[in-house]
Amino acid sequence: MRWIRPLSPEVEETAAILGAKAHGLVVLQRLGLPVPPGFVITTAACRAFLRDGRLPGGLDTELAAAVADLEAATGRRLGGPQRPLVVSVRSGASVSMPGMMSTVLNLGLTAEATAGLAAETGDPGFARDSRRRFLSSFASAVGEPVPDDAARQLTRAVEAVFSSWDTPRARTYRELQEIPQDLATAVTVQAMVFGNRDGHSGSGVAFSRNPTTGEPVPFGEVLFGGQGEEVVSGAALTRPLRDLADREPAAWAGLLEALDRVESRYRDPCYLEFTFEAGQPWVLQARPGRFVGGAAVRVAVDLADEGVIGRREALLRVSPRQLRLVRTPRIVAEDGADVLARGLGACPGVAVGRVATTAGQAVRMAADGPVILVRPETSPLDLHGLAAAAGVVTARGGPASHAAVVARAMGKPAVVGARDLTIDVADASVRAGGHTVPEGTLVTIDGTAGAVVMGRARIGTGGADPHLDRLLGWADEVSGGSSDRGEAARLGAAHAALRHG
Amino acid sequence: MTRPHATGADLLVLHTLRCIGFAGLARVAEAAGLPEADVESELIDLGVAGLVSHAAGDFGGWGLTEAGRAADADRIAAQLETAGARPAVTAAYDGFLVLNPELLDLCAAWQTRSVDGVLTINEHTDPGYDARVLDRLTALDRRAEVVGEALSAALPRFGRYRVRLGEALGRARAGALEYVTDSTASYHSVWFQLHEDLLATLGIPR
Repeated sequence: MRWIRPLSPEVEETAAILGAKAHGLVVLQRLGLPVPPGFVITTAACRAFLRDGRLPGGLDTELAAAVADLEAATGRRLGGPQRPLVVSVRSGASVSMPGMMSTVLNLGLTAEATAGLAAETGDPGFARDSRRRFLSSFASAVGEPVPDDAARQLTRAVEAVFSSWDTPRARTYRELQEIPQDLATAVTVQAMVFGNRDGHSGSGVAFSRNPTTGEPVPFGEVLFGGQGEEVVSGAALTRPLRDLADREPAAWAGLLEALDRVESRYRDPCYLEFTFEAGQPWVLQARPGRFVGGAAVRVAVDLADEGVIGRREALLRVSPRQLRLVRTPRIVAEDGADVLARGLGACPGVAVGRVATTAGQAVRMAADGPVILVRPETSPLDLHGLAAAAGVVTARGGPASHAAVVARAMGKPAVVGARDLTIDVADASVRAGGHTVPEGTLVTIDGTAGAVVMGRARIGTGGADPHLDRLLGWADEVSGGSSDRGEAARLGAAHAALRHG
Repeated sequence: MTRPHATGADLLVLHTLRCIGFAGLARVAEAAGLPEADVESELIDLGVAGLVSHAAGDFGGWGLTEAGRAADADRIAAQLETAGARPAVTAAYDGFLVLNPELLDLCAAWQTRSVDGVLTINEHTDPGYDARVLDRLTALDRRAEVVGEALSAALPRFGRYRVRLGEALGRARAGALEYVTDSTASYHSVWFQLHEDLLATLGIPR
């Protein structure tokens, strides 16, 4: 086939053609990990689509053949009245462009297929829930009425994902990040696995080590009975990853195995997105953990101690610039910490203060000590409250929202898009996950991790750090320099010696 | 003799305060484009009428009362209908909404950079990067001019935003980096006040 490749361990092509997502899935398959079957439409097809304004000739035939293969592999039919095949349709360029492109999930759930899924599972509620998710996902990605023909749904979704490469926002993002405009995105089509299937299903994200401290303990969150998008978007209240061990031991064992194999392959901590359906775990995405600050230092030292990498590589893995982040305070991630809500970290740093639900209250309360302003969103009318507060939390909005921009301008820790929060100004309280938190309650926010924690949380202050001391000791050995310089200078000298030595 | 649909100084000051929130005299005057002495005189009259109040303290300033907010809503709606400007302002608002996410992305890109996928503060140590953001902002500003002109033609008071946005961009390009997102007269601040003004004018709740 010219435009389509199956997801299989034998596929040899690069991320430039398959996109990083599909390329990563192929790697997972080679590691023997459970990946839902599927295929990928290459970036070349996207470039042809963007150039000509229509899908390239022959793609429709290839798409039908690829779907037929997937139907054969799963024993299902796309849009079928019995045992319907339901698929995810995801974007994926060779470079990461978080949140810039489209995804359509639960595709194929026509009215008839939904009835078929209900009959097959004996669970009409699950089938309806999945169709509802499909309709909203299709509407936001494609923006036109949903055809009740599964093959046409797929074609429209593929076109929409291709088109999403070229929105003004995406173009601007690439220009600023110096990403070539002609890379284009691939489209990965996979059989859906349903985290919302039953009481033994769910989704989550997991790091092979703790991303805030670097400790060699798996860390993450899990949402029982939900699909992965809810976890990634922060739209749902999740449980600490450890809960999976007690509730679904088989899925937990499979996840630990996957974390171990992928970390060994990367020789670096990894991040996985996973789903378990009826107790059976599936890996949906893998990427390097990209730890920063103190966590990056600890991992480099630990991996050297474990013999995975040498000391020279350990030194090169931490940039001098990173060392400054070691000093950015973070809430120390703890399983079972009393997390009130999660959103997106919009301005790094930690703030502890009492909850205020209006700008006016923030100004009044600030006279008696630090205040955290908690709002649905902010506008210019809240500026005096933002000025008075030590930190800000909003229920809506993303990293470019008014609250995020103003908080950064003022250098205040901010968490935005904490969707689980409801702010009740009349009642002077905030609600989340069954808690009601009255105004004046002490909370801690972490503008890196995007967490809002009850009370005064344990904060990593970047004080004495034995791992950092050891790494810098190695740096001095390599550079022959002395330890009476700044930390970044010591590491920088070692880098220079390693690169030119 | 005022021009048709020109906005009297009392309504201009009242409505400016509606769109910028709590503010001191200097900020109100800058936003309204009027001399401080005139603005202060209007504020005192509005205060006597119970439409605005002044709060002391570090984060104090002038702000609307509930009555002031209601009065502004009535008067600004009446102006819109009298001028027959609703269709034009509605169309301009649709144009604004297309540009708004792009502007917000640029502001975020100005303040933050993704280093290995992790959000970090832009320290403005890379002139090439900053120049790329400012170039994109300049290109966006040119597209925003179309919206600005349509608004000014419908209601002349909107012309003040074009002046203020142009000043903010000019200062930022001249090296005063705080005029992108960080000062109270920054491009982001003025843009957001325009957003607030469009919502208030059209009577759309946030």
